[in-house]
Amino acid sequence: MDAIRKPTPTAPLRSPETVMRLARLGSFHQCRLSFMRILLRRMKRENWTFDRPVFDIDAKGVGVAVYSAHGPDRTYSLVAFAHDLPPEQRSDRVIAHAWDSTFTLFDGVPTSDDIERLSWNVPKQEAGRVTNCEISVSRANRSVRLFKHVVDSLAAGRQPDPEQIEAVGYLMRTTAVYGSGKLGAADREAIAGRPEFAAPFQPEMLSVFLTRAYTLDLVEHLARTRAPETAATIAPDLRHRFGVGNSTGLGLAPFIVNHPALFNNWIAAREEALARVRALPRASNEEAATFRTMLARARQNAEEWRSEHSLQIQKLIMLKADLSHLETHTTADLLEGEAPWDRLYRWAEANLSIEGQEQLVSLMLEPYGELVDDLAGSMSANEADSFRIDGAMSLARLKEIVEEVYDFALKIDWASPDPNARVWYVSEEKLEPRLGERYDEPIEPYEQPLQPGRDAVRMHADISAWEGENTVAAFLLRHPQHRHIARRAQITARLPYAEIRDNTISAALLPIDLLRVKLAFFGATHFDPRSDRWVRINMFQDAPFPHELSEGDADDWSYPPWRRRADDFFAE
Amino acid sequence: MTFSLNEIEATGKRAARGAGLDWGIAEEAGKAARWLTAHGLPGPELLAELLTRNEGESYDELAPISVDGVWQAKSGWLCPLIAGAALSDRAAQVAAGCEFEFGPIAYPLLLAPYAACGACSRGAAIELSWPGAALTISPDDGLVVEGDMAAVAARTVSSVHCRPAAENTVTPPAGEPGRAVDAETWSRLSAFAHRTFAPATEASRAFGAGAGLVDSD
Repeated sequence: MDAIRKPTPTAPLRSPETVMRLARLGSFHQCRLSFMRILLRRMKRENWTFDRPVFDIDAKGVGVAVYSAHGPDRTYSLVAFAHDLPPEQRSDRVIAHAWDSTFTLFDGVPTSDDIERLSWNVPKQEAGRVTNCEISVSRANRSVRLFKHVVDSLAAGRQPDPEQIEAVGYLMRTTAVYGSGKLGAADREAIAGRPEFAAPFQPEMLSVFLTRAYTLDLVEHLARTRAPETAATIAPDLRHRFGVGNSTGLGLAPFIVNHPALFNNWIAAREEALARVRALPRASNEEAATFRTMLARARQNAEEWRSEHSLQIQKLIMLKADLSHLETHTTADLLEGEAPWDRLYRWAEANLSIEGQEQLVSLMLEPYGELVDDLAGSMSANEADSFRIDGAMSLARLKEIVEEVYDFALKIDWASPDPNARVWYVSEEKLEPRLGERYDEPIEPYEQPLQPGRDAVRMHADISAWEGENTVAAFLLRHPQHRHIARRAQITARLPYAEIRDNTISAALLPIDLLRVKLAFFGATHFDPRSDRWVRINMFQDAPFPHELSEGDADDWSYPPWRRRADDFFAE
Repeated sequence: MTFSLNEIEATGKRAARGAGLDWGIAEEAGKAARWLTAHGLPGPELLAELLTRNEGESYDELAPISVDGVWQAKSGWLCPLIAGAALSDRAAQVAAGCEFEFGPIAYPLLLAPYAACGACSRGAAIELSWPGAALTISPDDGLVVEGDMAAVAARTVSSVHCRPAAENTVTPPAGEPGRAVDAETWSRLSAFAHRTFAPATEASRAFGAGAGLVDSD
């Protein structure tokens, strides 16, 4: 790395008060540090190879397939079970009990005995059990319209219609991808020491990457069994247009609140990356050109991004306007001269919507892989390190921390109904996290600790009234109800991006903001909210397939390739 | 059935909460069950027995009345989850060489994961002992257990001592990937955990999870 590229100590990190607001987190976009991109860069660098040792699926689409990924030290295999699902049973909800396909990521290459054992468990998902030889468990449903269209077209010897592909973007969408010891699978701690799984969610992303290949193989197979003589295969360019969908409800939302140290490390890595780029004294012509290319492709992405949800439609209108504004602004010589990226970011703060600002942050990292990609190594967390409460801390210091971190909450009038309107709870059906109305439903006794703001205010009141010894230990012995929030406050004092600086139980809460930030870190695109608490996304769209990874660029797919000439945009 | 450590921790936490402990204490209870399991000790079993034993007792009955001198509970028997949390909050004192003495306490083995925090702070091993059993716990989570299993997993003991250990060489953890937990224990923990789950209603099914538009197209 060039010496001049070293981060300067004065690089401005954005403050947690700015970054950790729900409206901003809910406007995050994928970036170089997204988990899908980290995975593909590593597999490319390490020359991973892929094969399909088993593909035993009948004409009705029932059977099993195995996709193996061979890394330098270990092999992982996606075991996919294909089912014939009656349409009335097809639901993306977690309360479903049958799916079009079910999967597990196996640690190694499964024997026929392993596959037999898994065939009795994986199709049942939550009702089955796996072992520490399995790393994730997942399932997917077809996009009925597109799946049928593609099979019908191929069987008739035709290519599928690109417009129909674009309207949906995937053949199947996953409705849950479980890792970290769920259903008896291997604990995160048992595999976290493997370099390929050091970054967050790498097994889950690998599973989805292989699932994408399976969905394309499946439609071609079904077309071929229907019309062995005449069936077509999908043209390579069209093939890339298929990602894997994902349909995510509230189940994902509590995760980022329940893992404050981990969440801090995701945000801190991206903020550090931004600060490094803003600290650069100048941009080379080549770097400026890369930025402009990516900006044009981000415009294409915004054009292709469909949503029927009024909030997202509004955000997309603003995003498109912002990107156009940004393009005009940066076609002049503004990327020349001193500290161009810092100037650009400051301009964006004053001139773009939050959605546009966060798109810019992601785009500014694109020319600087050498400078920022190493931050991927800092995105995991040993949560045990930050878990223990420091009981020796003075109570006065804890109070100061509360006043700094939870300042937003201390300004809220908690006696009025709106700030308290919601309750996070877990339903007894499949242990699904849900959000209810405090004043309309009998759910308050089941409240989960997912409202740090309100809880911090309650603790603050008791600290103010405390007359005992001035230590956190003494206070918590008599106020055990504050133990949870005291821990969070101490974690956030050390890890400033650990806590969301907004009310998570307000009547105005949009749970999709919590989903969006997590999915953006996964590397998802085309967020399409189906309600205020349910979102669909696309994963790995335009990415290389496993068999293509050895050729070409493994990290040049997160913005769509130009499907129209750039001139068309400038002419608009 | 065999469970992952993650499942043992999650169910342990929910069970402790379902038994009426506050969330912060419950989080540590889940981690305690996990820590013991990872060290080949009966974490889920002792947690299930403790929660059953303390059913209906309030925090104030089970917490130390004072942490000066010998720790004693109003009810007569300290809860190791509560005393353990208070001990872990005093890890700096453990590190400084302070000794702690607990009076009558139930399931003293459940104190071990909390005492491990003291070893971490101290950067050296500490010893936890009660009649018939002695545990040496090192900062890297190493553990030596002396005494027969009946004494180590005792239901109640009259006193426990926590002090710096003379010996620092301790076996590293076995690193168990999870463990079989007997059906009786798991169903007891699950029954406690179940109390934290709201009964599903048609309204919560429809709106609580937020399925709005058609989700099967």
